[in-house]
Amino acid sequence: MKSIQGILIACFLMAAILASIAFRARLIYRLLAVVLFLAATVFIFFPDLTTVIARSLGVGRGTDLLLYVSLIAGIHIVLLLYRRTRELEHKMTELVRAAAIRDAQMTPQS
Amino acid sequence: MEQCDVFVVIPAFNENSVICSTVADIVNRGYTAVVVDDGSTVPVETFLAGLPVYRLRHAINLGQGAALRTGSDFALLKGARIIVHFDADGQHDPALIERLIAPIRYGKADVALGSRFLTESDSHEVPRVKRVLLKAGVFVSWVFTGMWLSDAHNGFRALSRAAAEKIRLEENGFAHATEILELVRRSRLQWVEVPVTIHYSDYSRGKGQSVFNSFNILIDLMLRRLFH
Repeated sequence: MKSIQGILIACFLMAAILASIAFRARLIYRLLAVVLFLAATVFIFFPDLTTVIARSLGVGRGTDLLLYVSLIAGIHIVLLLYRRTRELEHKMTELVRAAAIRDAQMTPQS
Repeated sequence: MEQCDVFVVIPAFNENSVICSTVADIVNRGYTAVVVDDGSTVPVETFLAGLPVYRLRHAINLGQGAALRTGSDFALLKGARIIVHFDADGQHDPALIERLIAPIRYGKADVALGSRFLTESDSHEVPRVKRVLLKAGVFVSWVFTGMWLSDAHNGFRALSRAAAEKIRLEENGFAHATEILELVRRSRLQWVEVPVTIHYSDYSRGKGQSVFNSFNILIDLMLRRLFH
């Protein structure tokens, strides 16, 4: 085994463990983490496999295909997070506004 | 309609004593004032000197759009017949409220939008850079709402009760100006532009929006399109 393979396996294992802790309440995400980890392991031990898939898609090298896929995944994640932030912002706004209306005061007291 | 059925909503964020004279003038004219403190560092209450106004306070800063929505919701709750949006920084003249709400009072429109560009003298009050920027704003509003106005980002406006019930702002920041137009259009509300004079002082200029912020507003509007 080449040392890079060991490093990559360790990193992906760590990520998979962290992900399954973070998504404790969501089975789908946990399963996804496991599946992704297994897929990564297969590709790490048989790197030529990525090239085979890349070729069949019309991409020259396996590493290029990986780059494209991770780029798309990255953009997807940013958008998901943005959406989530907006939702949270919206909920927070509702809370703050409701409290403000509830605690409205008139001066001098009428 | 009684004078006190006209609710003037004043969003305030880190204001100074200027707000006191503005609000006092509004109260003296018999309108009901609703001051919404948008999470100021020093509570706006400090500057209100016991004026008979409704005071609401956001625990944290949310933005002018959110403050207007809170104030409007509260005014509706208290039975407002007409809701006026009014700036705290002394830019707007309380004497002009009557002119602004007249079309609503007499049933000619649901929404009255203040405009700095309907008379020659009013538009001369506007600093040149700002004038160019506001004209660009007119174009942006037209792109997003299909309404061609003379002045797109004027915070001085009035809504009938029925209109206020339909216009529920979701844009917390400054993009609410365009959002309001969008909602006016969608709800098929009758609107009219009313000439108003905006008084620029060093204080209000300091509080106003910078050129840079205009781009922020534009991006907010585009994101809004994408995520709704």
